[in-house]
Amino acid sequence: MIPIGAKADPGRTPPPPLQLPVKDNTLRRVSVIFLVIFGVLAGVAIYAVKTINRAQVSSDWVNQTHEIILEVDGVLSTLRAGEGAMRTYLLTGDRRDLAAAREAFAVTTEHVEIAKALTRSDENAHAQVLRLEDLANRRIEWSERLAELREGDDAAAVQEALRTDAGVDALGEIRRAVERLREEQMALLAGRDRESYLQAQKTRWIVGTGVGLNFLLFAAVTWLLRDDLAARRRAAEALRAANEQLDAKVRERTTELAASNEQLTMENLERRWTNQALEHQLRYNQLIVDSVYDLVFVLTKALNVTRINPAVVHLTGWEAKDLLGGPLQRVVRLEENAEEPVLSPAGPIAQALRDGRELRERAAVVEDRRGRTVSAKVTLFPLRDRDKVVGGILIVHAASVSQEGKA
Amino acid sequence: MNNDLMPPLSTGAKLRRAALACLAGFVAAAGAAEVTLEKLLNDPKLTPKRFANHFEDFDYEYHVYVQPAEKFLAARAGDCDDYAVLADHVLKQKGFNTRLIHVRMVGLVAHAVCYVTESKAYLDYNNRKYTVNLEKSGATLREIANKVAGSMEANWTSATEFTYSYAEDRKKMGITVVKTEPPANDPDRRKG
Repeated sequence: MIPIGAKADPGRTPPPPLQLPVKDNTLRRVSVIFLVIFGVLAGVAIYAVKTINRAQVSSDWVNQTHEIILEVDGVLSTLRAGEGAMRTYLLTGDRRDLAAAREAFAVTTEHVEIAKALTRSDENAHAQVLRLEDLANRRIEWSERLAELREGDDAAAVQEALRTDAGVDALGEIRRAVERLREEQMALLAGRDRESYLQAQKTRWIVGTGVGLNFLLFAAVTWLLRDDLAARRRAAEALRAANEQLDAKVRERTTELAASNEQLTMENLERRWTNQALEHQLRYNQLIVDSVYDLVFVLTKALNVTRINPAVVHLTGWEAKDLLGGPLQRVVRLEENAEEPVLSPAGPIAQALRDGRELRERAAVVEDRRGRTVSAKVTLFPLRDRDKVVGGILIVHAASVSQEGKA
Repeated sequence: MNNDLMPPLSTGAKLRRAALACLAGFVAAAGAAEVTLEKLLNDPKLTPKRFANHFEDFDYEYHVYVQPAEKFLAARAGDCDDYAVLADHVLKQKGFNTRLIHVRMVGLVAHAVCYVTESKAYLDYNNRKYTVNLEKSGATLREIANKVAGSMEANWTSATEFTYSYAEDRKKMGITVVKTEPPANDPDRRKG
């Protein structure tokens, strides 16, 4: 900054403006951090939603696995129930037992159908269910054949059929098939449960990390804002100090300017007074010169007329404009003096000016406009500027006017 | 009434149904006359909605097997199978295209509903007490299963279309949709 009162130097580079310690990029930094925070939040939210969807799918798989286990268990239990009811029918011949057996076998078929549908996407499990279906159907067909024999009242055939029945082995095979399927489904359950557990752990870790990261980012934003506020406080303090300094300089300079102005006013007043005095003196002197009856000529060193008084005009009849700038010789000529040899070709007046001498009461002739001459006495005073003669004042005291014309 | 076997209802459904309970009560009181299979079959104006209105004051009573129609109507108590099978039996004879659907949900007995193609809605025994006793739904098994399971705030595992005749007293299982399979592989969608 250019100090107040100092003159600006056009060739000098202006100093840099006052540097305030304000961090203008704080807003940009805070915005970036908030963008990151929102990005992390969005990422965590998207991940959480995806995890929920995965958890839903995983839950569906677990439910389906349980459903498969229930259905194959249902196959075994209803088959047993049906066979029990059928054996009761064989003993009692009560058709309600036969109906109960058939109801149970129908439910067995339902369980098999559902199990088949549930294992469609698992080739191995589906093959086992098909095998289970085959075993179950064979037992149901065997039971129906027994029912037919019982309805035909062929007790011997029924007894023979029961005796040769490998029912225990067949049911055992079905039970083993069910157990194997159940074990595999339980293993699947364990695997899916472990996967679900790991997924939950991963989700906890990611959500926790995201939340922690956001807390850190919020802390960073807080720190940035706090730092910025401190910087702004420092800037305000610096600005206040600069303003105070500036005010002091302005006050000081104003005082100086007021003093200078007062001094200039006084000087102007004095100068005006001096000029007025000079003008008065000049007019007074002019009046004195104009009042002199003798002819007054102000001459240059080359004897040209630069000023005259009214007596010249009055005596010679020339206007001032005709004489000013012209040679003195046109109006005044010194008479020759035998006792004083003329050393200068320009005459004794020029010689006296060159020598810096005065001439006193020298005889001369004044010629007016009409050529008439008048005898006169002239006195010359050299005019000096310091020690150098710059001109002279010629005073002509005329005696009388000649009646003789110039021509 | 066996409330332990009654499938749970969603909160929204409970509120909606509670709000409509009073109105349903008036309607039920007005139409509480005894209903028989013959009366239903001979009703010339029978619609799915009109059919459902007869069961507003029926109680819930679980049976392992489907009750005969007259027994169910006389006892005025039964379960979802009894109601859906009867609806299928009656409405089919009235010219409606109906489908019986079993929806299996976790921890619950399989829930049966009767879907009426013309109404684009299913009849659900859980809705019998309310004015809105027809539940709108898409026609695929997956859509119906989602709707039914959603109304009971449960996850479904599979849904099966089945048929039943009182004469044979047997359920015949049809196509089954499994929730974990891609919807594009659903048997009813492939068929459609």
